[in-house]
Amino acid sequence: MIDLIHVTKRFGATTAVDDISLSVAQGELCVLVGTSGCGKSTTLRMINRLIEHSDGEIHIDGQQIRAFREETLRRRMGYAIQSTGLFPHWTVARNIGLVPRLLKWPQARIRERVEELMTLLGLPVSEFADKYPRQLSGGQAQRVGVARALAADPDILLMDEPFGALDPITRETLQEELRALQGRLHKTIVFVTHDMDEALRLADRLVVMDQGRIKQQGHPLELLREPADAFVESLLGGEDRGLKEAALLPVSERMLPLSPRLLARERVAHDASLREALSIMLWRHAERLTVVDDEDLPIGELSLRRLVGAKAHE
Amino acid sequence: MPEETPRPNIVLWSLLLAALPAWLGLDAVSVAPNRIVPGSGHSAAEVAGLPGLVASLVPALAVLWLAWRPTRERLRLALGLVVAMLAALPAWLALAAAELVDPALPQARMGIGGGVWVGLFLLLLALIELRTRLTLSRPLGWALLLVPLASLALCLSLWLEPLALRREYAGRSQQFLAAIGEHLLLVGSAVGLSLVIGVGLALAMRRWPRARELGFAVLNFLQTIPSLALFGLLLAPLAWLSARVDWLAALGVSGIGWAPALLALVGYSLLPMVRNTYVALEEVDPGVVDAARGMGMSRGQVFRQVRLPLALPVILEGIRITSVQAIGLTAVAALIGAGGLGTFIFQGLGQAAMDLVLLGALPILVMALAADALLGALTDLLRPGGAT
Amino acid sequence: MSEAIAKARAGRAWWVPAVWGALLLAACLGMGALEGLFRWVEPDSRAVIYARADFLTLLGRHLLVVGVAALAAVAIGVGAAVAVTRRAGRDFLPLVAQLASIGQTFPPVAVLALAVPVLGFGTLPIIVALLLYGLLPIVRNTLAGIEGIDPGVREAARGMGMTGGQLLRQVELPLAAPVILAGIRTSVTINIATAAIGATVGASNLGDPIISGIVNGNTAYVLQGALLIGLLALTVDSVFARLQPAGPR
Repeated sequence: MIDLIHVTKRFGATTAVDDISLSVAQGELCVLVGTSGCGKSTTLRMINRLIEHSDGEIHIDGQQIRAFREETLRRRMGYAIQSTGLFPHWTVARNIGLVPRLLKWPQARIRERVEELMTLLGLPVSEFADKYPRQLSGGQAQRVGVARALAADPDILLMDEPFGALDPITRETLQEELRALQGRLHKTIVFVTHDMDEALRLADRLVVMDQGRIKQQGHPLELLREPADAFVESLLGGEDRGLKEAALLPVSERMLPLSPRLLARERVAHDASLREALSIMLWRHAERLTVVDDEDLPIGELSLRRLVGAKAHE
Repeated sequence: MPEETPRPNIVLWSLLLAALPAWLGLDAVSVAPNRIVPGSGHSAAEVAGLPGLVASLVPALAVLWLAWRPTRERLRLALGLVVAMLAALPAWLALAAAELVDPALPQARMGIGGGVWVGLFLLLLALIELRTRLTLSRPLGWALLLVPLASLALCLSLWLEPLALRREYAGRSQQFLAAIGEHLLLVGSAVGLSLVIGVGLALAMRRWPRARELGFAVLNFLQTIPSLALFGLLLAPLAWLSARVDWLAALGVSGIGWAPALLALVGYSLLPMVRNTYVALEEVDPGVVDAARGMGMSRGQVFRQVRLPLALPVILEGIRITSVQAIGLTAVAALIGAGGLGTFIFQGLGQAAMDLVLLGALPILVMALAADALLGALTDLLRPGGAT
Repeated sequence: MSEAIAKARAGRAWWVPAVWGALLLAACLGMGALEGLFRWVEPDSRAVIYARADFLTLLGRHLLVVGVAALAAVAIGVGAAVAVTRRAGRDFLPLVAQLASIGQTFPPVAVLALAVPVLGFGTLPIIVALLLYGLLPIVRNTLAGIEGIDPGVREAARGMGMTGGQLLRQVELPLAAPVILAGIRTSVTINIATAAIGATVGASNLGDPIISGIVNGNTAYVLQGALLIGLLALTVDSVFARLQPAGPR
């Protein structure tokens, strides 16, 4: 879907992005992560040509991006940024309808699409359609930003630290919603962040960048288990990696069938993460948990030995 | 790392390419046998002949060449050349005076023509452009102007006696100095009075917030009335007062003269003064005030030791705006007999003597720019941590 | 709800310029009715009502000069500021910004006086002088308005695929409009005052009665001119006050 082939970007004498190659498959959520100044935003902005690359090639669906007019290319991709960039003089509805209007959709279809998206992102139409951006909270504004990016139903979504300015609770909610949205819409998403927890939570493919180069890429678990070097390891949290990995694995992965023993008193949901299970054990001083399904019925059990031990032999 | 070749500086190119035809095509100077007869124009080529003309073009072409690949060193060189050209301009005028003005005619005079004015203007723009590109500080930029000014002073005192402007000055040097004195006195007292009244009003508005809206409405209203109209409207009541109150008349108050001028000037100055003082005191970072109070400073201490020092630069900014504005308005006050440099402007306009107009207008311009620069520098100096 | 407030404000505010304007017209047409008052002010003069031209004509000329200069200044000023904020004109931005800010320290009278030797006496030189001086606040404010737009907004607009023209028309100019309007207001206010002084360099307008009153020592003339110019300034200013959205965004 998106292919970067030996792409380099120089600003004057400095090289911001240094010979990177990256392929993002259809429906994949690719997260670029790294410290500030590592070239991750530059990489993202080269994909919609807000920055022109100096060397190499960038392809969308096998076509060079330079084959398109800049504006045409950008209208095919959604774009959401940290500061939202909502137009302060336009209502929420008009902001969301921006790209469809640029594409000259008929009025009725725009209205319909805007209402559909507002509902999808949990913004009741009657309450929000006529509000102005300054009347929104940070989380609401960012939802509008995402809705605007999705408006013309693009295959590709580019997101530059969209949740960076939000409080932790709102951020987590929006991360979950983005995952759910992705599960339904199967967009190809390139997401830039410097927050490793956010990256691990969202990514299908995690790309760690440093000084304009790609240090390592792959599934988050791959990187956690086999960091390529000390830099990636420290970025991934060093000693904290165990907890981060546990956060990515569901309880069902380590669950044993119910034993004939007495059911443990403390319970954990089957789709909770191992990290949550560990936390319950620590808090309740329990070495054994009963795993329950969506209807709260016991379907298995998880022991502390199993939780940590099973990991050891992997 | 190879340094990239910078793109040509198209601003300098545009300025110089505009200056060249003006210098070559327009009259550089005009010469008249006396004050009454209109002068005859002379182009730059007539003054120093073809070699002189070519010589005058060399530095300009050099700047063009330097601006084609504007590295820092080349721009510095260009700046030097521009300053040199500005400094050479008075000398060139002296040469023209020696060449063209008949020394046998004591009243013969040389006026400065469009070519020189346009050239001067565009060179000054080039100076500003170079100062910006080289990110030189404002004071340094002004200091660079001292070189051409020194050259001008030298040429004026030694060789430029036939310059029409100087002839006008020679005819009324006493009046000129007196006019500058009157002008400065009026501006100074208006700014001083409005500072005292303005700070008082701002403090009152802070204490009685309900008075604030009314106060600003009145001051805004005053600021909207055109100066000529305000001077005119003050004429009648002041004349009436001085006719009835003896001690006012004894003070010299009357419908025309300094009294209505000063009143109007103070009226105009109050708005910027009050607004800046009020905003300055109001917008001191609440965190700072909070911390000061939290550490046990009394209200008075907070005001004297925290609010006032932090607000001072903004208040000074108000004084700067007020001074520049008052220098211009005082010129208008000459119409109602308040004296000052405006007298020459309106006399000159009345007699169609343009050099007399210049004798009034140029010092006013210089005064405004100087007040702006000096008070601006002082503001930067007082700002904690230096200029922003 | 906010719309209701805006409407209420509009309803309240339109009558202000209307009242000032009506007073101005009434003063132009009915100055003769105040003859008794002016006679009391100036008992010794033969004529107490300025009669060299009728006030409506003077008002018309005043408005014409200021209006033409303002229209041209808006076109050139906004155009120049827009040009130097585009990619092609960026090189000129520092110079134009500096020029606009230094130029505003020039007293308008000095500019008017300097225009005469260059351009001569009459109406046209005054229009040119007003135009030049009026450019400065407009350029300065347009620059401030455009440069003051949240960079995220511009980035988003381009990232969504707006063309340069769409960005300018739909985003930059509307967002900068209040600041630009404030610049036009400053420009016009100064120019109404400066045009009056233009009466000394041969433009016939509302400044005439004042100048002639001062020259002939006729206080009544001065008062008539001052009253009309004051009313004109207040009328125009209140129109701008009405156009300007209340408070910062």
